[in-house]
Amino acid sequence: MFAYIFRRVLATIPVMLLVALFVFSLLYIAPGDPAAIIAGDQATPEDVDRIRASLGLDRPFVVRFGEWLWHVVQGDLGVSIFTNLPVTHMISQRIEPTMSLMVLTLFLSLITAIPMGVLAAWKHGTWVDRLVMATAVFGFSTPVFVVGYLLAYIFALELDWLPVQGFVSISKGLWPCLRNLILPAVALGLVFMALIARITRATMLDVLSQDYIRTARAKGVGERGMLMRHALKNAAVPIVTIVGIGFASLIGGAVVTESVFAIPGLGRLTVDAILRRDYPVIQGVVLLFSFMYVLVNLGVDLLYTLFDPRIRY
Amino acid sequence: MNTSSLNMADAAVLPTHYAAAPVLADVLPPVRERGRFGTFFRRYPTVVVGGVLIGIMLFIAIFAPYLGTVDPTALAPAKRTRPPSALYWFGTDMLGRDIYSRVMYGSRVSLIVGFSVAAIASAIGAFIGLVSGFVRALDTVIMRVMDGLMSIPPILLAIALMALTRGSVGNVIVAISIAQIAPVSRLVRGVVLSLREQPYVEAAVASGTRTPAIIWKHILPNTLAPLMVQATFICASAMITESILSFIGAGTPPTIPSWGNIMAEGRALWQVKPYIVFFPAAFLSVTVLAVNLLGDGLRDALDPRLAKRL
Amino acid sequence: MPTVARAADSKVLRFVPQANLANFDPIWTTQYVVRNASLLVWEQLYGVDANLTPKPQMAEGHEVSDDFKTWTFKLRTGLKFHDGTPVLAKDAVASFNRWMFRDTMGAIIRKQLDAVEVIDDRSFRIRMNKPFTKMLFALGKASTPACFIMPERIAQTDPFKQISEYVGSGPMRFARDEWVPGSKAVFVKNDAYVPRDEPASWLAGGRRMYLDRIEWQILPDGATAAAALQNGEVDWVETPLPDLVPLLAKNKNIKVDVADALGNIGSFRMNHLNPPFNDVRVRRAVQMALSQPDYMRAVVGDDESLWSELPSYFTPGTPLYNEAGGEPLKGKRDIAGAKKLLAEAGYNGEKVVLCVATDVAITKNQGDVTADLLKQIGMNVDYQALDWGTVGQRRASKEPIDKGGWNIFHTWHAGADCVNPAPYTALDASGPTAWFGWPKSDEVQGHIAEWYAAPDLAAEKAAAVKINKASMEFVTYLQTGFFKMKQAWRNDVSGIVQAPFPVFWDVKKA
Repeated sequence: MFAYIFRRVLATIPVMLLVALFVFSLLYIAPGDPAAIIAGDQATPEDVDRIRASLGLDRPFVVRFGEWLWHVVQGDLGVSIFTNLPVTHMISQRIEPTMSLMVLTLFLSLITAIPMGVLAAWKHGTWVDRLVMATAVFGFSTPVFVVGYLLAYIFALELDWLPVQGFVSISKGLWPCLRNLILPAVALGLVFMALIARITRATMLDVLSQDYIRTARAKGVGERGMLMRHALKNAAVPIVTIVGIGFASLIGGAVVTESVFAIPGLGRLTVDAILRRDYPVIQGVVLLFSFMYVLVNLGVDLLYTLFDPRIRY
Repeated sequence: MNTSSLNMADAAVLPTHYAAAPVLADVLPPVRERGRFGTFFRRYPTVVVGGVLIGIMLFIAIFAPYLGTVDPTALAPAKRTRPPSALYWFGTDMLGRDIYSRVMYGSRVSLIVGFSVAAIASAIGAFIGLVSGFVRALDTVIMRVMDGLMSIPPILLAIALMALTRGSVGNVIVAISIAQIAPVSRLVRGVVLSLREQPYVEAAVASGTRTPAIIWKHILPNTLAPLMVQATFICASAMITESILSFIGAGTPPTIPSWGNIMAEGRALWQVKPYIVFFPAAFLSVTVLAVNLLGDGLRDALDPRLAKRL
Repeated sequence: MPTVARAADSKVLRFVPQANLANFDPIWTTQYVVRNASLLVWEQLYGVDANLTPKPQMAEGHEVSDDFKTWTFKLRTGLKFHDGTPVLAKDAVASFNRWMFRDTMGAIIRKQLDAVEVIDDRSFRIRMNKPFTKMLFALGKASTPACFIMPERIAQTDPFKQISEYVGSGPMRFARDEWVPGSKAVFVKNDAYVPRDEPASWLAGGRRMYLDRIEWQILPDGATAAAALQNGEVDWVETPLPDLVPLLAKNKNIKVDVADALGNIGSFRMNHLNPPFNDVRVRRAVQMALSQPDYMRAVVGDDESLWSELPSYFTPGTPLYNEAGGEPLKGKRDIAGAKKLLAEAGYNGEKVVLCVATDVAITKNQGDVTADLLKQIGMNVDYQALDWGTVGQRRASKEPIDKGGWNIFHTWHAGADCVNPAPYTALDASGPTAWFGWPKSDEVQGHIAEWYAAPDLAAEKAAAVKINKASMEFVTYLQTGFFKMKQAWRNDVSGIVQAPFPVFWDVKKA
């Protein structure tokens, strides 16, 4: 098992290298000469050449990639063209809100979607089932910003239950932090909930038709207990898988959700960087999110071995 | 059936956004026997509903100029933010443009982006998948590259690509397509690899049938069904991605009315003039819903396990 | 029903500025948002009061020779920079020198300057080779770039490079470690600050701070800003979206008022270096087709009391206001005439790069109207959606279009800056030293020189008529109209005044 974990961790290295290569190429082919940008408007062509040489921008692609990678490994993502601040600094200022939002979204999605899926499977073919399924289809057909504005309108402006916007650090208390994040998390999580509810239901139905469940049923294990114990345990693998894959949609959704709810996170940073064509920042954020995505899916792979002893590697 | 068969490689075929479970056909309820054509519709109502809705949207997109619309980009600040009325069916926006006309014309962008991305990503992805599945020497390299591509969340990849270029519908299509190629190629490769083990394919190979012929006669027909299902989900996902890109200002240029753009411009007034956001949002939601319903229905109808039995 | 707990701290003011504070060098950039932030951190030797008269601020007073050639200034006592060092004459001189290279009025001074000399720690002298009467307006101008006094070591930065240290002598310190560009900027009370004794009036008089912290929250989405104000999550919104103002006014916890009675002039700024706008006929073609009511409705919405047409370069209601030569902007718009003039100028479908800051509603809406207008007169518009910070950088480029240059951007000028040529950066037509767009008209410059030399108001008015007429013919820039914006704040905040910039001194929170 440890050998497997080791191999699996090792296997992510080439993937990350490829991502790094994509991300680096992005800046490489980006329009606009970084040297000219750094030199400023009043610089002479000689100045620009000098800066280009001093930054090493006149060297071959491979050399520059190697050097850039070396810096990245050491935690140096370069300097924002726009604010002159180190990209790692900008990211570190923005990471907490995004992480908090994602963790809460995951949590809310899981605790609502899994029971929904189980319920739908249990009441298979009834109106409960159809209602859950219809909700799920609507869930991933409605763009996240539409849901966001709708929620903000109802719960923040009309009912005045929750704040409209902003973020409060968890260091200022759990509830102040949660209050600000509930609406964005629900908006962001809707797609995710739909996804998980569907997969839960589908897996449950599948497991329920398995021979060993029929055996268990024949042995007289109670209906409810049987559902919970056998089926859900077997549904864990697909659910965990979908959580891993859905993480990408979470990242995409966060970009929008943070704009709608004015959360100063990585998503807002991305949007700002796009409008300003601040390539080092774009690079850094894409690299970071991809790294997180790979890590999450690595975690998912490793979880398999926990949930499903039948998987042997 | 063993649930453990659902590993990362299979699951990764998912269009990473919303599509619940095209590949998860394996874990869906057993598909009923396929009946005659007439009963098909009764059995798969979602296909009918989705199909009809998409048909309506196509009609709107094609005949937008003849549906009582005016120039969707013509400004009239003197008639700004009018609520829906007999004259302005969906009202006017903050620059006095007719929202009804903008929404009707906006359907073009969404549909063009959705269908183009589905077609391009499927075609290129299928090609890469076929190559990867047949040319052992390239398989590892191609699949590692696809792994790398798939490690970048598709929206971010599209955003990053859009940052490199100027906003245009063509660029949006390319950016979103690139982000969707990898999953398709993995899907097709998977099918190829499983088909290669089939006796009749092995027989064909043994009898010296040339590879292109094998692909044409045995492989392609069998990849078509899962590919179609996948394509519908890509289509839905692409339409949402386009609206998100436009919404954050990195998509369709603001001079072209697209649903994402209309919402992006109207969102500032959502508290006082909710209809500006409501109409494009409703059309987008319904269209995506329709495509998802169609995809769901298709998946049930063209279950891969049935296809395998051919 | 659970109500949202309001942040109770009465010493912390949460302010939503008009735009993101993306960089922080008030000499390097002329963006109002940077100037507004700078007013908290840095001070000027003189500061304008509510009558736009410069009054001593850091200066104790001045002496001027009878021929108006030698100006001697003395700093008031007790001035200290945030790093604890006293403010010395050498700091003022270095700051003056850096500012002079970036400001249009500074450029005029430079042409007539003999020397700027430190006399002792507290006094310095400016010697001119020609009489210069408007020195106090120069040192005290609030229009951008304003002559802020920075420590010498910072003021020695190349005027075309951004400073990297934000040390001033003002009543608030900039909390650099809390600065998150695109999200927030924080200012902390400078306890060592000794205000002047006089009551405050705009930038003149004692700057008494009753707040410990001012948190600028950047909310580029107008709807979010309005909602935050309604919910009590912020205290003061500088420029709420005009369409949301009626909604805010209905809320009993919110006060809404005109932000600045002197209003604003909408600006359609063309690059005079690049074709096609290097040809005056093309600029005139746009002038005769441009509909100010269209722009104004797009900018300030349906409240017609907030805007008027403006066939003038000067602020309505101020002494120099005149409409000489403003006819092309009045009456029926002439699309056909514009097309004809474009053809005459040989315009042949060249791409016109329109840089639109989509994150600032005033510029975004003007940009949309312009795109439509140019399309109507047959121009090929390349609409570039950018953010305001990027426009601020892009517009500094003198390059041709294919090298990242630009043709048009939109902004607005505070009416307070357009009362006369001294603070009026955008009026200058001196070519390379003029504001972005670099218009060059010797005739306009000649009339501006006449104003500078004018001995009395009558002569100033006569010069202003000539300036207006020549500028209208030359089309230095295009006015999209005159408009007033509203500001909105929570009821528990008091002391907010009407001014061309947010004034934070004397503001209290209950």
